[in-house]
Amino acid sequence: MNLPPKRISMEELDILWERRRSAGAPMPTYVGPLRRHVAEGDRRLLRLEYDASPAALRLWSFLLTEEERLHAARAAGAKIVGTMKDLGTVAVMAYALPNVVAFYPDGAWWTPCVMELSDGLFRIAQSLGFGESFCPVRAMLGAFVNRAHFPIPDILICSAGAVCDDFSAIAQRVESLGHPILWWEMPHRRRPEPDEPAVELPGGFSAPASQVALVRAELERVRAALEGLAGSPLGDAELADAIAEANRVRRLLAELRRLAYTADPCPMPALEMLIAEMLAIHFCSDRAETIRVLADLLEEVRRRVKEKVGIVAKEAARVFWVNPVADLRVMNLLEDCGGRLAGTEFLFSHALDLIPEDLPPMEALARMALADPMAGPSADRAARIERDARAFGAEAVLVSRIPGASHCALEGAVIGRTVRRSLAVPVVEIEVPPLADPMRPTLSAQLEALVETVQERRKR
Amino acid sequence: MTTVVYSSPFVPAEWIAAHGARPKRIRPDAAAAARSAAPVAGMCPYARALAGEAMALRDGQVAVFTTTCDQMRRAAEWTALETPAPVFLFNVPATHGTPAAARLYLDELRRLGRFLARLGASEPSRDTLADVMEAYDARRRQLRDALGVLAPREASEAIAAFDRDGSPPTQAVHGSLPHGIPVAVVGGPLMRNDAQVFDRIEEAGGAVVLDGTESGARTLPAPFDRRRLRDEPVLELVDAYFGSIPDVFRRPDDALVAWLGRELAASGARAVVLWRYVWCDLWAAFAARAGDLAGLPVLDLDVSGDEGADRRTANRLQAFLEVLR
Repeated sequence: MNLPPKRISMEELDILWERRRSAGAPMPTYVGPLRRHVAEGDRRLLRLEYDASPAALRLWSFLLTEEERLHAARAAGAKIVGTMKDLGTVAVMAYALPNVVAFYPDGAWWTPCVMELSDGLFRIAQSLGFGESFCPVRAMLGAFVNRAHFPIPDILICSAGAVCDDFSAIAQRVESLGHPILWWEMPHRRRPEPDEPAVELPGGFSAPASQVALVRAELERVRAALEGLAGSPLGDAELADAIAEANRVRRLLAELRRLAYTADPCPMPALEMLIAEMLAIHFCSDRAETIRVLADLLEEVRRRVKEKVGIVAKEAARVFWVNPVADLRVMNLLEDCGGRLAGTEFLFSHALDLIPEDLPPMEALARMALADPMAGPSADRAARIERDARAFGAEAVLVSRIPGASHCALEGAVIGRTVRRSLAVPVVEIEVPPLADPMRPTLSAQLEALVETVQERRKR
Repeated sequence: MTTVVYSSPFVPAEWIAAHGARPKRIRPDAAAAARSAAPVAGMCPYARALAGEAMALRDGQVAVFTTTCDQMRRAAEWTALETPAPVFLFNVPATHGTPAAARLYLDELRRLGRFLARLGASEPSRDTLADVMEAYDARRRQLRDALGVLAPREASEAIAAFDRDGSPPTQAVHGSLPHGIPVAVVGGPLMRNDAQVFDRIEEAGGAVVLDGTESGARTLPAPFDRRRLRDEPVLELVDAYFGSIPDVFRRPDDALVAWLGRELAASGARAVVLWRYVWCDLWAAFAARAGDLAGLPVLDLDVSGDEGADRRTANRLQAFLEVLR
């Protein structure tokens, strides 16, 4: 049953599920109507618009049932690793072990949005001194306190050093509440000095070999901790297999991104692409299923590209999006205002780039970790954005500031300046709070102005 | 001679001096922030001010920033983009107690040495470094002795003078030691004219019995081990600075917590003024725990460094101390 590509409401997506169920279409058991999540408090789902496809239904169902999977894993005796801040590396290692599940408590930063603040997580964070001057990841602190979301992990592993101050401060507070953390050092990635041995990292950055060696040594500490947790060795062979599996996810995403960000008309909405990219970070607590979910999505996109159909008009302005949004609804807004995604940099490009498979696994993982855009200079990040925006044919760059985030004030300025100079496309900065409804007119005006600028430039 | 301008206590003056350069640890002028042209919203006023100071450097002067917070790390990059003056970003590890962390700090010292060498400085011999360290240690001992008899503001200014040029107080000026409600001031660094906060506390009826700001005695390096100084001066430098200074960015922050408990008890403080800049996440987070850790009333004093900040600070101190009376 091929539906015409368009965005539909949650009710319509639920009807799609009903029809598929009635027709006996094969679906994983976790796939179901999204209204069940609304009943549990995920009220934002009522205000989002979704891609009208079984693949999107599966994607959303997979995303929204993650907490259930984690609790089920705990009940089944699996060990749960809470890996924090590194966004990708430690998760690859953890999934190399049998009976271990890893997730990022950081992901709680979307909970206040999805639950439209009914979760009370910000209130708890505020009561502990973490108010609006901190980025929305402060919701994680509330989730550790009320224990109403993810299960408390058996071990917490957090990178420190060249990370954002918000996260470092909040994680320290988590530890002070009685949740011990294994801290590991992420150095500030710098450019190699002349004559200094250097290595190329996934994604094209380079770094001094000494920094890679340091990260590798730190990841060895992480490896030992994971072995202790699992009670079984984590050998290079297992790690190599885990890297190969992670790369399966990344290859699917690379193709999905290539098609979704270059094909005309745009075959997949911005919101689903954001969710799909996020799966690369920790596989939404089920690596094998992540591969199937992405394969479904890719098949849908390929079909649409082949049939030359899409979810917006062909003339939609091609926008490269920088940083994840705290309010998912703003991704819908891009298309409402006449835009479409033509590339993204959601602060975890190192979780999308292929991990080298021709290196010793720990060396490969160290290189991946050090490629984290957060760990290096903003100019590196800007260069990556410029390169990718060029490759995807973006006509504008949108930098979405994260309210309260320690890195955003200067980073946006550096990225904006670099991209304007080198790419000569319009750049706009917006700020997206967890619930952006009151700012919707302002955000709409900003996005419409960007789209109009792109359209004017086309006439020249 | 190259002058190396910096503000972080984790940059060893001895290392710079031993390379034949002049170390100058500064307290930036709040007014310099405007020169940085960096965004105001969301940015730490101290980091903006330091960037502004660095942008005004002349030939023969270089700036060293540290990675001790995200804002400072990015301010270094901003400065390097905006000014032709050489900028060095020193990676101070956040973690500690591991071989990797100590190794990284040591590597960064050596990299700083190479940076200075490219500007014409010379790599010191082991004996030269040890001599310089010994001289600093002796002068720092003099400074420590003086701190015990100086009034709080004078003590803070004596540390600032030592940081600027390595000179201890020239005479034992016995300031009038304050009488009032004993207060500890704990938190981030002070800017150029911020030592007047000690006067404001006294005017409000308090007496500063502990300066635990980043600009105070808390961040003085540990005295050197005289024998190791001669045998392994670089490693001794690493231990005295990286291994000893408690600070809020370190993970875990147990050394700062232990320092706070120990020093508060020794000082007899009855309250804590927590000095932090707006948009400083690290101290803002610590402020929220400080009351529990100290078991004392805490004034979370967020300062912006802008016009009117001193008046607001005075009013808040007045109100806080009135409650304590």
